[in-house]
Amino acid sequence: MSPITKNSLIELNARDRVKAVLDEGSFRELLGPFDGLESPHLPPQGIVPQSDDGVVIGRGQIDGEEAVVISIEGSFQGGGIGEVSGAKIAGSLELALRDNKKGIKTLPVMLFDTGGVRLQEANYGLLSISEIGAAVIALRQHVPVVGVIPGNVGCFGGMSITAGLFSHLIMTKGARFGLNGPEVIEQEAGIEEFDSSDRPLIWGTIGGTQRFSTGFVDELVDDDVTEIRKAVQQAFFDKGKEINKTEQVDFYRHFLSQIDPSKPIDPQTIRELWKQVRNADIPKEVDVHSFPELDMPNSRGRAWFKALSGIEEPKGNIPSVLYGDSILGKERVRYISVVPNPYNRFPRARHGEVGLDEGWAIAKCVRDAVEKDKNGDPRAIVAIVDVPSQAYGYREELLGIHFALAAAVDSYSTARLAGHPVISLIVGNAISGAFLAHGYQSNRILALNDDGVNVHAMSKQSAARITRRSIRDLEEATRRVPAMAYDVTSYSSLGALYELIDGIDADTPGEQDIQTIKDKLTDAIVDTRSRPHDLSNRLLTKEAINGGRTASIKTRKLLEQQWNSIHMIYSS
Amino acid sequence: METLTFEYNATRTIHQRSHVGVVGSGDLEVLLEPSSNGQAQITIRTGSEGFGDAWKAVLDRFFLVNDIAAKVTINDFGATPGVVNLRLAQALEVSQDVPNHQK
Repeated sequence: MSPITKNSLIELNARDRVKAVLDEGSFRELLGPFDGLESPHLPPQGIVPQSDDGVVIGRGQIDGEEAVVISIEGSFQGGGIGEVSGAKIAGSLELALRDNKKGIKTLPVMLFDTGGVRLQEANYGLLSISEIGAAVIALRQHVPVVGVIPGNVGCFGGMSITAGLFSHLIMTKGARFGLNGPEVIEQEAGIEEFDSSDRPLIWGTIGGTQRFSTGFVDELVDDDVTEIRKAVQQAFFDKGKEINKTEQVDFYRHFLSQIDPSKPIDPQTIRELWKQVRNADIPKEVDVHSFPELDMPNSRGRAWFKALSGIEEPKGNIPSVLYGDSILGKERVRYISVVPNPYNRFPRARHGEVGLDEGWAIAKCVRDAVEKDKNGDPRAIVAIVDVPSQAYGYREELLGIHFALAAAVDSYSTARLAGHPVISLIVGNAISGAFLAHGYQSNRILALNDDGVNVHAMSKQSAARITRRSIRDLEEATRRVPAMAYDVTSYSSLGALYELIDGIDADTPGEQDIQTIKDKLTDAIVDTRSRPHDLSNRLLTKEAINGGRTASIKTRKLLEQQWNSIHMIYSS
Repeated sequence: METLTFEYNATRTIHQRSHVGVVGSGDLEVLLEPSSNGQAQITIRTGSEGFGDAWKAVLDRFFLVNDIAAKVTINDFGATPGVVNLRLAQALEVSQDVPNHQK
């Protein structure tokens, strides 16, 4: 645990944390408690909302430079991201991007204290996090994006993937930083995998000291306001054109290739290995699978990959991530699909989950396309989505699965910004971090209207446990709140889908089915070519405008009105 | 969740609006706004149902001593009467600070 210091940041609430990081007296709050933007989704579920929805947006200066500081209140609903809080974060990053693009330098800082998606607003949280990630990646091209993980909650779930995208991360010893919370891993994988009551084990795996010692955070600080404020200032001063962790695909693939998952591993060994690999020559290719690709099970992801690409014997960097190029009408298309590999060297990723190897392999094949097309004519990239979840396990957390998933997020987003039409086709499950990594950064999302197509933030069992409800109560709540439902029809009412496609045999597509989907993909690619490279289209669909994203749109609009109001006062 | 409302006659005014607390375990947030209708109007949303009498006892006493004309919004997450009283006093204190530009 951190020593008790005189001037603790952890003990401050979200608003006072912002004031502590900004230059004294410069704090101006946007969308504060009196602006009436609370969650519209919590009261119908019998949950008391908070007037700022648990996120404080402060403008002011850092060391004399214009800045925006975003702070998440960990004491309110575990710092979970809902529609309003998510839109406050995404919206302010989008405005910081706009200003930096215009040459108005604005330093972005996020003070994390979050369990990830707020499960009571499940799909709104997941959607928001994909939009936050997109903004961070675009913003990073102009200015360093600096994050602080002080504790007590730490940084988990989809927001740990977001943090993985940041240019510079500062953390205290007392904080924890990982994809899956200990309780969720215990629920999904059993107490033998991870004992959520064993505190030394938890901090030894995902605590600040271990994260710093294996390079997942850049700086370890004491819980002291002055020290943290200086670290934030220094981060902007120091950061030049450094390569982000999530862009170091060959390094991390090589690092993971040195792990033998059939043997026990411990935090100390990983620290030593990390030091060793950091100073070694990094090969461009790695060999991490020794299994022959025999009798690989069929799955929707595999069936649709073969059907659309026409590649009968697909190859990939690893057997669980298929990719290949083919021609669709006048378009060159790279198809990517994550599929089950029962022989996966990581046992927790044998059913089609996006695990450590999968995240970095996706990043490898997406970045390969970007690199090959960098002189023009960016090919389309189609993510075929059939992913039950991210991999839940002890090894996964220790080895930084949130960075593997962030690497995939980063690669798709980078491709999109480089002008590649990135299209997702959901043919099966699109759950949680797996969907964030594989499919949620696309310009256009298409989905089959089929009972086997589910979009959600967490399995029902885990969601029930974490929100302390029975599965029956959870299902009851999903009837009233479409964002909590698992079925794709409810999901489509949020407006994130470009098209929901009826009448397709999702398991064994026939010739007509395949042709229909090819036509739909072609339409989506052509539509994307003439439109902006960001994700703004998700807020412009008929469904989004007619109620699906009401709070997301309103929050962004009010935020924009307040963004520069101080300058207006000066000039009048 | 339960919504409770209370009203008291008031004679005093407050200088500015104030906000204290968070909707976290055992805590609550209080929003205080000046009002010109000579009343304190309190709206409470609480996750702990069935404590209307306890709320009344705390508020009767507080607004008897501090008869301020204000719109009071409370979002409660299981705060004890002692914590409620403390947060109300804190909100009142902040609301009576003279704003910077009037000093």
